[in-house]
Amino acid sequence: MAYTIDARGLACPQPVILTRKALETNDDLIVLVDDTAAHENVKRLAINMGFVVEEEQQGGETRIRINKVGACTHAAQGAITPQGPVVVVIASDTMGRGEDVLGGVLMKSFLHTLTQAFPMPDTMILFNTGVKLAVKGSEVLDDLESLANAGVNILACGTCLNYFSLKENLIVGVVSNMYDISQTMLGAGRIVHI
Amino acid sequence: MSRVFRKVLLFESVSAVLVAEKVLKDRDIPYKLIPVPKHLSSDCGVCIRVNALDLRSAEEILTGKVKVLSIHELSET
Repeated sequence: MAYTIDARGLACPQPVILTRKALETNDDLIVLVDDTAAHENVKRLAINMGFVVEEEQQGGETRIRINKVGACTHAAQGAITPQGPVVVVIASDTMGRGEDVLGGVLMKSFLHTLTQAFPMPDTMILFNTGVKLAVKGSEVLDDLESLANAGVNILACGTCLNYFSLKENLIVGVVSNMYDISQTMLGAGRIVHI
Repeated sequence: MSRVFRKVLLFESVSAVLVAEKVLKDRDIPYKLIPVPKHLSSDCGVCIRVNALDLRSAEEILTGKVKVLSIHELSET
């Protein structure tokens, strides 16, 4: 008996989050969606995770059946299925080296895009001046907050916050240490380093 | 699904966006610098997003300081 998720009327990324969570414990799933973006995103998630997807249109709704049958064949055909969590490492408050004003613009742009990206990272690690993105006064707090609300685990390097005397000003994420940071990196399926 | 009505302002260059950003910040107009939405342009540009209600005051404040190339609707969920 397939487990059913009714994601009709839910705003993105909620349907994807619910599906991802359900797939951790279910091999056979039905997701009901009534939104094109949700439909595409849920489908892509399932395919990326190596599941087989069948769709059935019913009026304005789509019934997405996700299961493991034949999933091995699919994986063998070369579907990208990273083993383990996706970790985004942000080592600076600017993106790229060379021109910091431009780097600041790029970082704002990148983090905003990440809120709409798929798949979302599982964890984000902020260190060095990267921690400044998550403290009071940062212009990207709203984006980091929406990532955190979507289930992204945000770790801010405690040593770095301490160095900049910003520990009390951390708004988003948790104060972390080098043990957790190195373990998270070593356990990652994929690391995206900014 | 909630829809928030916002507008995006496009400029001629990244430098122009930075000028506009500074002007809006100085005048406390809520704004956000975001990548240019893909349906408007596929190049790697940035633009400024404002709430639809703030559009008129943003336009007035920017007049004479920086040229706004175009203004577009943006609805995000």
